[in-house]
Amino acid sequence: MKKQKFDIVVIGGGSAGLASAIEADKMGLKVAILERDCRLGGILNQCIHNGFGLNYFKQELTGPEYAQKFVDMLPATKISVFLGTTVLDILQKKDKDIFYEIHTISREGEISFEAKSIIFATGCRERPSGSISLCGTRPAGVISAGSAQRLINIYGKMIGKKVVIVGSGDIGLIMARRLRYEGAEVLGVYEIMPYPSGLKRNIVQCLEDYNIPLYLSKTVCEVVGQDRVEGVWIAPVNKDFSLDESKKEFVPCDTVVLSIGLVPENDIACSLGVKLNPMTNGPLVDEYLQTNLPGVFSCGNGLHVHDIVDNVSKESQRAGKNSARYILGQLETNNPHKITAKDGVRYVNPTTFYEGEGVININFRSNNIYKDKKIVVKCNGKVVREIEKKVILPAEMETVVVAKNNLTDDIEVGIE
Amino acid sequence: MQKTSVCIVGGGIVGAFLFDELSLLGEKPILVEKGEDFSLGATKANSGILHAGYDCQPNTLKAKYNVLGLKMYKSVAKRLGERLINCGSLVVGDENSLPQLQDLKNRGDKNGVKNMSILDRNSLLALEPNLADNIRWGLFAKDACIISPYHFCVSLIEEGIANGGKIKLNFEPQKIVKIPTEIIAKLPKNTDFWQISQAINDYEQKAKNSSEKFQEDYCYIVLSDDDFVICNSIINCSGAGINEISKLLDEKTFPLQLVKGEYILLDNSEGSLVHRPIFPLPSKHGKGILACPTVHGNIFFGPTAVPVDKYDTSVSSSSLAIIKNNALKLIKNINFRKTIKLYAGIRVKTGNDFEIYFSQKNLGFVTLAGICSPGLTSAPALALDVIKYLQKIGVVKNKKIDSQKIIKRKPYTRIFELNHTQLDQLIKQNGDYGEIVCNCEKITKGEILEVLKNSPIKPLTTDGVKRRLRTTMGHCQGSFCYGKLAKIMAEYYGVDESEIIFRGNTSLIVNDIKNGGIYEQNKK
Repeated sequence: MKKQKFDIVVIGGGSAGLASAIEADKMGLKVAILERDCRLGGILNQCIHNGFGLNYFKQELTGPEYAQKFVDMLPATKISVFLGTTVLDILQKKDKDIFYEIHTISREGEISFEAKSIIFATGCRERPSGSISLCGTRPAGVISAGSAQRLINIYGKMIGKKVVIVGSGDIGLIMARRLRYEGAEVLGVYEIMPYPSGLKRNIVQCLEDYNIPLYLSKTVCEVVGQDRVEGVWIAPVNKDFSLDESKKEFVPCDTVVLSIGLVPENDIACSLGVKLNPMTNGPLVDEYLQTNLPGVFSCGNGLHVHDIVDNVSKESQRAGKNSARYILGQLETNNPHKITAKDGVRYVNPTTFYEGEGVININFRSNNIYKDKKIVVKCNGKVVREIEKKVILPAEMETVVVAKNNLTDDIEVGIE
Repeated sequence: MQKTSVCIVGGGIVGAFLFDELSLLGEKPILVEKGEDFSLGATKANSGILHAGYDCQPNTLKAKYNVLGLKMYKSVAKRLGERLINCGSLVVGDENSLPQLQDLKNRGDKNGVKNMSILDRNSLLALEPNLADNIRWGLFAKDACIISPYHFCVSLIEEGIANGGKIKLNFEPQKIVKIPTEIIAKLPKNTDFWQISQAINDYEQKAKNSSEKFQEDYCYIVLSDDDFVICNSIINCSGAGINEISKLLDEKTFPLQLVKGEYILLDNSEGSLVHRPIFPLPSKHGKGILACPTVHGNIFFGPTAVPVDKYDTSVSSSSLAIIKNNALKLIKNINFRKTIKLYAGIRVKTGNDFEIYFSQKNLGFVTLAGICSPGLTSAPALALDVIKYLQKIGVVKNKKIDSQKIIKRKPYTRIFELNHTQLDQLIKQNGDYGEIVCNCEKITKGEILEVLKNSPIKPLTTDGVKRRLRTTMGHCQGSFCYGKLAKIMAEYYGVDESEIIFRGNTSLIVNDIKNGGIYEQNKK
């Protein structure tokens, strides 16, 4: 078995992995990226629609173009890239200092990587049909949105002719338009919540521009069809999210695309002992994006699901920089305090900060739509930061930057 | 022209054991199955439990074969290289349950079940820390095991093939003819479907028009719509389809009750929730909704028991609520958000016991009816008794299996069963074993190609590969790997991905969009 030694091993070569590796390399450390696919870029490679990079690059790019911008930065770095390399397990070891042993396989054989710090940039996976308790039969034609996107955009294979889309997440909206482009009849997008879960711009550009109806507070209650989908029963949703099956209607279709949410991918992190936040399914991290394990960082969709890749890049740069600072002994971790979600806030990331200088970047999502409200950060009941917002949507991640000076106790983030 | 002593109709677990044991006896049986693969009926979706045998009413066939069958499984599993986990099982109840548990134990004693003990709450918690708060007493049956029934079924058939058995898939019997052996003897060796149909026609005409009596010595021809098998005996073990087969010979039919069992399957991240099957107290409706691990580390709850009038495996939302409700009576701390799949299977009942019918009118025709729970556990013993009967009537040679002569099935490579050095060496020989396709279950391209190349029962569907390797069975349920798997299969079989079947006869991919896409429409 071959052995390789690095300061930092980044697991995942998508948008998060690339940004964090490049930033860590800038600090002069020896960095490796491990990517299980045969190319860098991750899920961006199948996102051939535009709308990426408006924030980060100030220009409108497709997913592959956005990824390529980062890939093009690599030749100027010393980063080693290992493609087609899957991590099987990781062990924490202690010599003088703590280090990690990462077992991988690729077509070349087994390689064991040794690293002082690990950045998990593993992205997320789609929720399976079971997670929404999809009842009825299990025929061909029930497919997740990302899977449909890969089959159409990467493999050039079409998945159906008459399509119902369940869930108004961004991938579902993008796929509604994509399927329409490819000649399928898209009968509608059904969303269980009373508001859409995708970005406003996607509602307009993917549905309204193509006359694809969006049905709110309605969802699929049963799939019908033995070999291939023959249709779905759609029912309105009561206030308590139970289904009103007395008013259910049958919609004939041959394909059901599920856009029912994403889960941060943390299997390997968990088996290493990384603790997760049950609200996000990503690791619990401090202000440096460091998990409960020393030198183990998390960023991007593996930490919490983002709506815009530009934010992933920015967040991951911080993870890369902090990983390097950890190795260089520059992270100050004295007097930790908690950051908690209060009224109207579903979760906050990070959940811990340390007393000292500088700022804390806090990301959060609201639990409902709010209009003309304030984001309020409080410490000991005293307001330390306040931002007025015209509208706050659960679909759009909010960021608040808080100065650390004078913060000597736990803080809370709420909407008032 | 394929002739055999025994034609087995139905490739579930009962047919698989019959096929394997007859093959090991050197009988070269033929197993016919109407589906595109084996293990598609009750064997595919059941609880995968080898029951200890305390639940069956004493002096029933169920009791007899359950206890005998369980004893046979361990050595078969070892020989096949199939996983069998001897985890024991629990029946649990509240403070009032002790008398009923004692009754169950007494019943077990009568059935010859060993290693049972009644446990109090503290001892139960030591075994299962997540038991619900009101659980006070439990019956622990140490001998119960869990297996993966569909893997087991396929492996048995693979071993049978290695030892001389033959299989026919997509073979749905349309006609069975009882015909004098002397007519068959006169047919040329290469008689095809058309010629045999002619011969049957001639014989039937002749039999109608003349009073000439043939000798007592006859055999059977089982015909599908394009193939046939000539045999001396027919074992009808086709589950829900037994009456259709029996009718072809104007034979005894059985009143069948189809009972649907629905399940909730949780991700293997929840694998430590329970460590063995945990049953509630049995009722007149059956063993009830249980909590159980699978050999692959998932957890399931179920089954329901819903009578249905057709082979309907849909899951209803009302059943879902019932399963959850009942599961929470046994176990606490269940995270139903980790559900990855709902599924259902059909068990076929006839009365309260198994029915084994040896026809007198058509010697050698055997029907196995109502092989529902504990059918999986009972299958090997049941098969052995049927074979004893076939030996008694002279269809099968009277000898014993010579374990020295068994040609062992070669289990498929599973990379997670190899140590670092072995895996590294394997990848150096063949890079495909270093290329992960199914990320959740860590299954490589090499393992998939090995199954496609080496399986004596070529899986033509992605579901077929799943039943051999577990691809697409992890927590992403194929969202990441379905395309890759379809591509590997399409390349191997030299077809387009749209021809790779997902299940039944349908692909997930359709390529014939009629209106040509939005760009084409705009051009017009």
